[in-house]
Amino acid sequence: MSRCRINIAVIEPSQIIYEGFSNMLLKSEDHYCLYRLSDLSELTNGLNLKFSVVILNPAIIQNKVNSFLKIKKNFPDTVWIGLVYCFYDSELLMKLDDTISITDAPEQIIQRINNLHSRYSCDANHNKDLSEREIEVLMLLTRGLSSKEIADKLSISVHTVVSHRKNLVEKTGIKSLPGLTLYAISKNFIKLEDHLT
Amino acid sequence: MLDLINENPSLLLLMEYFEIDHAVNDMTVQELCRKNKIDLDVFLIFSNLYNDFHPNLQEVMGTDLDVQVIIKFLKNSHNYYKNDKYPEIKQYINQLYNHQNSSDVKRVEVFFNDYFNEVLEHLDYEDKVAFPYFKQLSEQKVDIKKCVFSSNEYRVHHTDIETKLSDLKNLLLKHISLNKDYILRRKLLSALFELERNLNIHSIIEEVILLPLIEEIENKLKR
Repeated sequence: MSRCRINIAVIEPSQIIYEGFSNMLLKSEDHYCLYRLSDLSELTNGLNLKFSVVILNPAIIQNKVNSFLKIKKNFPDTVWIGLVYCFYDSELLMKLDDTISITDAPEQIIQRINNLHSRYSCDANHNKDLSEREIEVLMLLTRGLSSKEIADKLSISVHTVVSHRKNLVEKTGIKSLPGLTLYAISKNFIKLEDHLT
Repeated sequence: MLDLINENPSLLLLMEYFEIDHAVNDMTVQELCRKNKIDLDVFLIFSNLYNDFHPNLQEVMGTDLDVQVIIKFLKNSHNYYKNDKYPEIKQYINQLYNHQNSSDVKRVEVFFNDYFNEVLEHLDYEDKVAFPYFKQLSEQKVDIKKCVFSSNEYRVHHTDIETKLSDLKNLLLKHISLNKDYILRRKLLSALFELERNLNIHSIIEEVILLPLIEEIENKLKR
């Protein structure tokens, strides 16, 4: 139950390789959700998904390394793995976080993906209590204050408020303001009477 | 078809949306689609979604998908949300409150009712404004230049109805403790999970399949 779902994008033109690869991943006990994309550009438009791992055929980026690096920069939490079955310049492969070869054993490949992914584990923040500052931000949020107003009130930067908000969402698993309000009441951070006055 | 259902019973719901009789006998998928006059490609892409395989843009645009079947499917799923799943969840929460009489549960109920109203508004907008336009467009009955509505407007107004659902689920799983009524709560949570998964597929169909198709028709007509 501890492991969360891993979204993987696969950019591999060969149908056979893709299907073999996806079958291998889906047979493992980990919870992978696979999306086949035809091009890098599909990462940025259309699907509004967060991919933990992108597995791609290096040929896809061979002639557009610069645009690849730009895209990579936009997805700092994503792990980029090359799926290699013919010769590529080592400099090209260095641009990726890691490579796997189709001759690798399935267990090895899966372990590799999981290791890389856990570096960016999505539940790093789970089960941690809120800090005092976060509770302060939460209380002000539930009173309907904007990030800017909260920053002024606590004499901190808007950027810091945004980062507290991000932590709040990650720790509680709750994104909407009404949901956070409900959370705050159930944890006795605020009382309903405070809210009405 | 029977094999597929045995492997993934959630396809029964998909069949309901396609208005297919669940008694499939020994029919193959192709025979079933032919009998029910359903575009085979649409059926396959949607079934794959239910099995966690997602289509790419080429698959969507490369085949001549039947927009009307897609709209029928989405409309039926709206009916399922409106008349079946959300009321079921509402009933569980209500029962939970009657048993527990706790203020936390009461607030969950208020939260849910507000959310449900938002969802109804959203579905109503799609049923009454967006889908009729898409339908006319696919029948080429629209004078595109005189039209005030467009897929772009739809894209802009396409609100996210999944966030609050996930909030509700997390509140019940992580933050609000009850000391009894575990059975009732399990039923409530199962219904929330089921709905969440279904809504997730639903929005992929709307955003990744239907919208690009509609935009393509619009572009053709504008030329």
